[in-house]
Amino acid sequence: MMRLSGRLRSSLIIGGQGIRARKLRTLLSMVSLFLGVLAVVVVQAGASIAEHALLSEAELTQGKDGTRQLFLPTEGGALPVTLDTLRGRSDAVAAIQSMAIIGEPRVRPVNPGAGRIDDPAGSGPEVVCDPRGCHQVGDAAEAPPGKAIALQLTALTGDIRTFRPFRPYAGQWLDFSSAPSLSPRIVLNREAAKGFARYHVPAQMRIDGATADATPRIIGVVDDGGYQPAAYVRADELLNWLPETALAGDRGASMLVLSSPDATAVERTLRARLVGAGMAPDAIHVETLDARGHARTELAIMRWIFLGMAGLVLLIGVAGILNVGLATVGERIEEFALRRAVGTPRSLLAGIVLSETLLTGLLTAAAAIGVSAVALRAVGAVLGDRVPLLQGIVFPWQAGVAGVVAGLVAGLLGGFIPALRAARIPIATVMRA
Amino acid sequence: MTSPLIELTGITKTLKGQGEPRPILSGVDLTVHGGESVAILGRSGSGKSTLLSLIGLFDRPDGGRYMLGGRDITRLPERKAAALRSAQFGFVFQRFFLLKHLTAAQNVAMALVNGQGWLPRRKRRAKVMAALDQVGIAHLAKQRPPRMSGGEQQRVAIARALVREPGILLADEPTGALDTETGKLVIGALHAATERGCGLILVTHDRDHAARMGRVLQLDGGVLNPVTEPVIERVGA
Ligand SMILES: Nc1ncnc2c1ncn2[C@@H]1O[C@H](COP(=O)(O)OP(=O)(O)OP(=O)(O)O)[C@@H](O)[C@H]1O
Ligand SMILES: [Mg+2]
Repeated sequence: MMRLSGRLRSSLIIGGQGIRARKLRTLLSMVSLFLGVLAVVVVQAGASIAEHALLSEAELTQGKDGTRQLFLPTEGGALPVTLDTLRGRSDAVAAIQSMAIIGEPRVRPVNPGAGRIDDPAGSGPEVVCDPRGCHQVGDAAEAPPGKAIALQLTALTGDIRTFRPFRPYAGQWLDFSSAPSLSPRIVLNREAAKGFARYHVPAQMRIDGATADATPRIIGVVDDGGYQPAAYVRADELLNWLPETALAGDRGASMLVLSSPDATAVERTLRARLVGAGMAPDAIHVETLDARGHARTELAIMRWIFLGMAGLVLLIGVAGILNVGLATVGERIEEFALRRAVGTPRSLLAGIVLSETLLTGLLTAAAAIGVSAVALRAVGAVLGDRVPLLQGIVFPWQAGVAGVVAGLVAGLLGGFIPALRAARIPIATVMRA
Repeated sequence: MTSPLIELTGITKTLKGQGEPRPILSGVDLTVHGGESVAILGRSGSGKSTLLSLIGLFDRPDGGRYMLGGRDITRLPERKAAALRSAQFGFVFQRFFLLKHLTAAQNVAMALVNGQGWLPRRKRRAKVMAALDQVGIAHLAKQRPPRMSGGEQQRVAIARALVREPGILLADEPTGALDTETGKLVIGALHAATERGCGLILVTHDRDHAARMGRVLQLDGGVLNPVTEPVIERVGA
């Protein structure tokens, strides 16, 4: 213990004296290494930020990792069986998607086919094709244009936010615990809310196949990550207004059941009942969400290419450190021989040379990390309003770790050979000079 | 007397340069007791520095036996040799080998900051000042070598050799780069150390300096021979 701490303290003093005597050299080493470490930090930060962005978007639009997705047809009795099985459950939720138009009756909506509000021309009337041929969905294209908004309506049997963490934007989210209301409560996404804010739209909702129009009450707005106007409604409240067969038609409605990984019992029951209702077992597709894995593989190749380039730049820095390190050892031959003569162990001398370059690497890493963090904050402050991805962005810790590792590896590579040289200096020949 | 501090028997050393390997030492016998002073004379190239580097454990002999304080250290591993260099030996060279970027005090402290044990700053400082005082240059503690005279620099080097209170001082032509007067001063400082019980082996070309040592030996043909009285008297005259 005593010996170790004596060695450590001696090496700190000797190393400190060495660095102080060669401040400019240390600085030049750092300069030569800086770009390489910076490149590694930036690449890693970019990859982490991109992965984070991909992941949080995937969570909103698809679901949290591990969520099981069952794609089910709506016809052939599947719908009532599913609604009945999942009634009152929170660990498995069915989402039935259909098209709806809210606004004046018998007009062409401002965004036919539920296109984007700002860019309705891009979408045009939606066309669906089936074995009987292709036909337009919704109101006939020749209907006069009017104050109505087409949107994607999702009817839910339970709180879907367990699986897709929609971000509240205004008002409330659907309350699944209360008794169903006669006038369906709906929650819009932000794109739909944009349309309602821009056009004065009467509260009348038409759904394909429904016998009567409902009068929806908009109770809130969420960010669901989607680009199309959409609305969410309790399935039981919606079904007060239209027969199940209306949703179970061939007009573009689809059903998706989201269930948590440990809701296997519900899934099994649902499967059995669906098969009992005459559904072919292989028509039930299950998929487990793995957005993280997908994002990783999507980014992995890019990341390796960029890290490879950063590594090359780093290598140039290593050559710089090595060059400076060898020159320094050459210059310090007498000092090292003298230190050995007064009893300094050669391992300690090698350690001092190595720790001087390691320290240079660490200082460089600190500088590179500091510069990237400040730059990222500046970019976030300047562009944050326009690019939502950059809003409230924080420097990813993975980039910090990558920077420190790059600095240490460079210090190790650049200091290893000089350290060996320092340890091999013979005392006798130098002292005879 | 107790067992001798240094006891060399039949030490041989062959050095291989670019050409043929050349035998430099071919059977050196030498016994030095604690507090004794020995001068070694010899032609240039006779192997004096080589012998000193073997005694100081910079290098190992090819043959023979090296006893230090009754312990055989002929084949000592480098790690232990470093510890012994630190604890037992003090070195002074013709060139002073001071580090330009350190003060006199820091240069002396170098022998204490060598990874062999640890002294707190205050004790270190006290030892350094005592050593500088011993060679009469305590007032130069904060001076850097480029601003010191040769004699002052050599005395810093002697203080560095003395600071660990070694059993023996090895001095290789310590006055070689100094004028006669300064040389005398330096030899005086070394001599004073022997009066405190430290052994001294002095390699020199100066017979006056040699004459001040307790014993004078001559390295010739790879072996050490005592120098006969008349020679000393003659050179001393
Ligand atoms: N590394 C070496 N390889 C080969 N020969 C060497 C080496 N070092 C020294 N020599 C030779 O060994 C001989 C003895 O050298 P040494 O330095 O011991 O002599 P010296 O007695 O100290 O001489 P001087 O009085 O000039 O200092 C010299 O002839 C020298 O050329
Ligand atoms: Mg010599």
